[in-house]
Amino acid sequence: MKERIQRVYVPMTETGFYILFCLQEEMHGYNIGRKVKEMTGGEVTISPGTMYGTLAKMDKDGLISFVREEEKRKIYRITELGYEILHIELHRIERLYKNSRGEYRNGR
Amino acid sequence: MADKVLFRFLTVTDYEEEEIFLREQHKQGWKLRKYILPGFYSFDKVMPEDVVYRLDFDQAQCGGKEEYLQMYRDYGWEYLFDVNRFSYFRKPAVSAEDDMEIFSDNASRLGMVERIFKRRMIPLLIIFLCIVVPQMMIQLINWLDGGFAAAGALGIIYAALFAGYVFLFIHCGKKIIKLRKKYADLSDGRW
Repeated sequence: MKERIQRVYVPMTETGFYILFCLQEEMHGYNIGRKVKEMTGGEVTISPGTMYGTLAKMDKDGLISFVREEEKRKIYRITELGYEILHIELHRIERLYKNSRGEYRNGR
Repeated sequence: MADKVLFRFLTVTDYEEEEIFLREQHKQGWKLRKYILPGFYSFDKVMPEDVVYRLDFDQAQCGGKEEYLQMYRDYGWEYLFDVNRFSYFRKPAVSAEDDMEIFSDNASRLGMVERIFKRRMIPLLIIFLCIVVPQMMIQLINWLDGGFAAAGALGIIYAALFAGYVFLFIHCGKKIIKLRKKYADLSDGRW
């Protein structure tokens, strides 16, 4: 199960990464969109159709789960599995970043 | 009463053309009021304005239509109606270009093409193969063998349907390949 999810989600798209990252706090779709805009200085936009579809897919795959509904807005939060995938992805991004600056894994 | 009615025959794969058509109309002061299949668009006369129209195909989860529409409203989209499982949205073209799209990556644009293919094209193909083709054959054979005029008339109707379907499949098939190529070529690759 986890292997399959990992194959599908790692490496992640920007949309997938930011949604999962934001959902470490409970949030609904539109707020995720706003926060991502703010975090990236407007460089990353997640439009409503993409947001809706990605949330539905991540929910189905068990990376996030529905918490409650507030005024017709579904609030989600990351799950255990979601954390695992997020950490794998964060580790990968960190490695890319370090390597790109000439740093090697064994600390030279 | 609507102030103007136009007829445009656009198939399920022509949604991007439809969006452009509706935006052009609004720019000329014709605001979409209603759309009735197979292609009657009725408009109200308003002040000309640049308003972007967007169509999404059958994305709301079962029983989740309200939440789905709320998401679009939050993003500033006005929901018009659903026709043929397409949801129609519009928004004045005043904000940044990014905010005028309902999809922000090619994976979700391709997702819509796939939904249209699976939920519209495949059912049509099944109707075509299981009903139109056999009925046409049966009626034409009855007509030629038994000389029944009624069978002949039915046979001709089915033959016309057959021609219509073939035209539709060729048109939509080509279009789907084109759309797939357009978004897969530019695609951010994967999930």
